[in-house]
Amino acid sequence: MITEPFTIFTARKIITMNPSNPTAEAVAVSGDRILAVGSLEECKSWGEHTVDETFADKVLTPGFIEAHSHVMAGGMWTMPYVGFFDRRGADNKLWKGCKSVEEVVDRLIEVESEMTDPSETLLAWGLDPIYFPGERLLAKHLDRVSETRPIFVHHASAHLATVNTAMLNRAEITAENPTPGISLDADGNPDGELQEPPAMRLAPAFAELAGRLRTKDAIWNYATEARNTGVTLITDLGTSQLSDPDQVQNWKDTTDDPEYPARVMVALSSMMGGIDDPTALAQIGVDVKEQTTAKLKFGIVKLVLDGSNQGFTGRISWPHYYDAPETHPGNGLWLLPPDRVVDILEPFHNAGLTVHVHCNGDEATEVFLDAVETVLERHPRWDHRHTVQHCQTSKQAQYKRMKALGMCANLFANHTFYWGDQHRDVTVGPERARGMNAAATALREGVPFSIHSDAPVTPMGHLHTMWCAVNRLTATGQVLGEHERISAEDALHAVTLGAAWQLKLDDEVGSIEAGKMADFAVLAEDPTTVDPVTIKDIDVWGTVLGGVPMQADPRT
Amino acid sequence: MSPERIDVTVIGGYLGSGKTTLLNHLLRRNNDAAVDGESERLAVLVNDFGDINIDLDLIESQTDDTIELSNGCICCSMVDGFAEALDRIVAFDPRPDRLVIETSGVADPSTVAAYGHGPGLALDAVIVLVDAETIRKMADDKYLAQTIRQQLAAAEVLVLNKSDLVSAEELTATQAWLRDACPDSYVVTTTNSEVAPEVLFGRMSTRTYEADGHHHPERLFSTRSVHADAPVTKPWVEELMGSLDDTVVRAKGLVHLADDERPWVVQRVGKRWSLRPHRAPWPGDPGTNIVIIERTAAS
Repeated sequence: MITEPFTIFTARKIITMNPSNPTAEAVAVSGDRILAVGSLEECKSWGEHTVDETFADKVLTPGFIEAHSHVMAGGMWTMPYVGFFDRRGADNKLWKGCKSVEEVVDRLIEVESEMTDPSETLLAWGLDPIYFPGERLLAKHLDRVSETRPIFVHHASAHLATVNTAMLNRAEITAENPTPGISLDADGNPDGELQEPPAMRLAPAFAELAGRLRTKDAIWNYATEARNTGVTLITDLGTSQLSDPDQVQNWKDTTDDPEYPARVMVALSSMMGGIDDPTALAQIGVDVKEQTTAKLKFGIVKLVLDGSNQGFTGRISWPHYYDAPETHPGNGLWLLPPDRVVDILEPFHNAGLTVHVHCNGDEATEVFLDAVETVLERHPRWDHRHTVQHCQTSKQAQYKRMKALGMCANLFANHTFYWGDQHRDVTVGPERARGMNAAATALREGVPFSIHSDAPVTPMGHLHTMWCAVNRLTATGQVLGEHERISAEDALHAVTLGAAWQLKLDDEVGSIEAGKMADFAVLAEDPTTVDPVTIKDIDVWGTVLGGVPMQADPRT
Repeated sequence: MSPERIDVTVIGGYLGSGKTTLLNHLLRRNNDAAVDGESERLAVLVNDFGDINIDLDLIESQTDDTIELSNGCICCSMVDGFAEALDRIVAFDPRPDRLVIETSGVADPSTVAAYGHGPGLALDAVIVLVDAETIRKMADDKYLAQTIRQQLAAAEVLVLNKSDLVSAEELTATQAWLRDACPDSYVVTTTNSEVAPEVLFGRMSTRTYEADGHHHPERLFSTRSVHADAPVTKPWVEELMGSLDDTVVRAKGLVHLADDERPWVVQRVGKRWSLRPHRAPWPGDPGTNIVIIERTAAS
């Protein structure tokens, strides 16, 4: 029996992800933890209580866990969105996709008309012109928005920006600047497109944009977007500097607010270039664990081995890329020296941290697996849970090695929808595209896995990510890799316990069972029983975080 | 008028090629040079301070990302981001004369060099170090080949380092291989990352220095200049540049083109040259004046 009064939430159905009690009708919550799960009568038997029937017609699942995303996802929503796909902002407002240059200009005219300070730069993000056949957004279009206010439109690829003439003039960007990437028109004058960061940063707006990405607003937006999509635990994978006490304090102050609607795990990382002193960094990773709170978690390390497949910079094994641009050197880029990965990994491994390595190409996966094998030979360690992040083109043989080495995988399931058509037709070709983000293979080979959005690269929202893994439909509606589809139950496991496992938080979160944190996703329907193609359309009421209902912003 | 742009030197090369040793020489030498009264205000940008070896007596002040030395040098790290570090250096008062950027071991130096004409900056040269012991093997490695070959292709000056660690036959073979692999680059052979300032910066030194592991008492480089009082043409510049042979390591100067009020700048590093509008007004009366640095000894 328990002496403190507690709350019992009833629901149409509770999916617990606890195999001993897979479903329930009520869950009792004491403080921020689950007291009991089962029938209403069973829950009542624990003592003095109140019954909360808010969720009587809803379905509860364990709160979703996004094990690969970035705090910039929140920062983006301080700016207007001009992407191709419909997307909901951190306030749950629907931004309709911009389907043409005209629609981008119209959107910006509307935004500009509401700006009060005439000198303020108009920053926008998400432009996705690969879907505009034969059209490019240029300065001449943006000049219709304003001839005096500087405008900077960041593209979804993150490799391009388009600015207006006022911005070109303010930044003194001329054809005579030898910086590569200043696109010129037929008369030899800059046309407003700035290609790659060296050219993009000639516009002061580029630094302004970067500055918005880690502010308090960004940290808040990040969690409200999570709450609106049923996510109760988000990660910041490699975009914070835990060596900087101010950044740690900022995370702590923000998440300490009882209103802050998510738990966050912040990974240790090195922002730039190589890691000259992994031993010192590992010590920081150990020390920072003392700052752990109920809503702020540490203990994982994020490293990046290669680039991106859609950008042709992932390290893909022979025969490499399918139809790369003529100027492409043949294979992608290493962001860490492949022959030093063992030396970099070893101090983190020895310090008891879990290492998560970005491996988009299978060659990167291979280097990571080899390094883990070597490190384990030198320093045997059980249950390390080192994780291949993205893991997009990993092969069957590599999943078998992951299993043998005690590793996990986190698959970028959303890629199938957003870039699947390009992967099949251009980047890796049909065969490899069908095997990308191979969730069924991970399952068959027994590799613990999760699936992710990499927000802001694609929108956060685990119902959508589950939908991607279950249906594997591309943006043009074609099934890509039918044999790698998984069931909705397995997808739900991936976004709850599967994610909790690789973050080493599965004793605290990821399932609804007595003693664990009372974190739930509150859904209108059961994602495991609806028609699988409608999983992404299920309405999200919000979440319960540590026993506190956190209602989503109304959808507008 | 905006202050003078900072000359940017990009130092590339894979791990173990000797980049950090080179930077340590620069920081130390700049101190010696300060005594000689020929010092530039040098800024050095590194990934982090881990391997930089700075004499404690020289450190004037230190923060997380910047070390200021009593000889006027500053040393900055990229812990807060590369672009942020560039902005910090350009904003430094007094503004440095030269920025040396050490790239990460896997970086393509041309990607870093692309930032060299950003606000307040003017790219001078891309220098790539290679390890004489390992370069040929790495250039054919399954994982490293492309990275290494891109680094070689980016080099205007290739520094074949650690030449004392291989046999004479192997060195000759590697030199031949390198000239074949990089026909556009100027190749210098050295030990212990010793590179003459004439090669590195196009700056004549008044002192003698180590080269090839030996102390050379005589001067290895000489300068001459080409003047033209009357405006010249682009073909004239092309012909002049084409006439320079392989002993020329550097050429740089302003050019007065006919029918153009603006100064143009011609620059040659190793075997590559360019002619482009100068992004500043004439410092005095318009006129063409090009300084050429060439090797005199069989160095």
